[in-house]
Amino acid sequence: MAELVGVYAASHGPMIVRNWDKLTSAEKGSLDSAFVELGRRITAAKPDVLIVISPDHWVNFFMDNLPSICVGVGEVHDGPPEPWFKAFPHRKLAGHPALAEHIVRTALERDFEPSVSYKLALDHGFCIPLWKAKVNPLPALVPVVFNDIEPPFPSVKRCYAWGAMLAEAVASYPGKLRVGVLATGGLSHSIGEPDMGRIDEVFDRDCIRCFENGDAPALIDFLNQRLPTAGNGASEVRNWVAAHGAARGRGFELIDYAPIPNVYVGCGFASWKLG
Amino acid sequence: MRDYWLSKLFFDLQNPGVANEYRTDRGKLLDRYPLKPEVRAAVEADDVAALSRLVNPYLLRFYFLMAGMPEDDFLRRIRSRDASHG
Repeated sequence: MAELVGVYAASHGPMIVRNWDKLTSAEKGSLDSAFVELGRRITAAKPDVLIVISPDHWVNFFMDNLPSICVGVGEVHDGPPEPWFKAFPHRKLAGHPALAEHIVRTALERDFEPSVSYKLALDHGFCIPLWKAKVNPLPALVPVVFNDIEPPFPSVKRCYAWGAMLAEAVASYPGKLRVGVLATGGLSHSIGEPDMGRIDEVFDRDCIRCFENGDAPALIDFLNQRLPTAGNGASEVRNWVAAHGAARGRGFELIDYAPIPNVYVGCGFASWKLG
Repeated sequence: MRDYWLSKLFFDLQNPGVANEYRTDRGKLLDRYPLKPEVRAAVEADDVAALSRLVNPYLLRFYFLMAGMPEDDFLRRIRSRDASHG
């Protein structure tokens, strides 16, 4: 049986890389210490595999066929194609087809219908947290793409259920594996919209409080009401909701939260205490 | 409502080869996409506000970065959208 050994969440704003030189020293220090702590927690859990939940920023999918949720079942994934992210040291990242296929089968048995891909490129959403947290060596990765980018989006409730299903899939996997879940993205931000650059700190802090309270229906209600006005990038909180579902709605621990204007993002970092 | 061909143009420009074609001869590249005349005109005029109504905001932002518009200029233009177009 596989074991769920850690559940984590981290922001992934591209300006963390693209605009690094223009960040204030306080902004750099805040991000560095949060990522280091995230990396320490992931490393301490010794996962053999990380299930990473992130959106696809128009790298793998287009409007011809835009899955709500897609599981990467390939033996190997491509590294980030963004030209500004050459510093990421991995051009190829190992997958874990056996666990990925087990997740897909479990999903179908539980009335989810994920898309499946044998060949994904993992963009900055997947790779910035892994890189900045210095997760080294990298565990095998099972990427799960949530469409948080182009409406219509999967419902918040369904994302929570997806996370719970992921935990079930890990628990029923017939092999000895230590598995972690890392959700990336959020918290509030706006990209390419008239309010680009706005960070909704009130939303972010209320959202964090909902995760801490652990009441899943209340969290879902809160997000259904408040996500539409927290900036289009806040949609990525759906990934955090899936992580919360994987942790059965319990044990949320904030590592750090800081609104970082030069990154355009309310940057949040968290892990969940399991058990 | 998204404009499919405008979206496809912006999506394709993520390919460095296509981006090079754009920089070499924008008109020739645009000829390959069946853009409506008013959409093509908005592209040629760098009309951020008009294009923002037709395409995913992440693709919009990518396009103007790729096209070399300074960030401050993009922000000023996108922020003027609601004021200028009601």
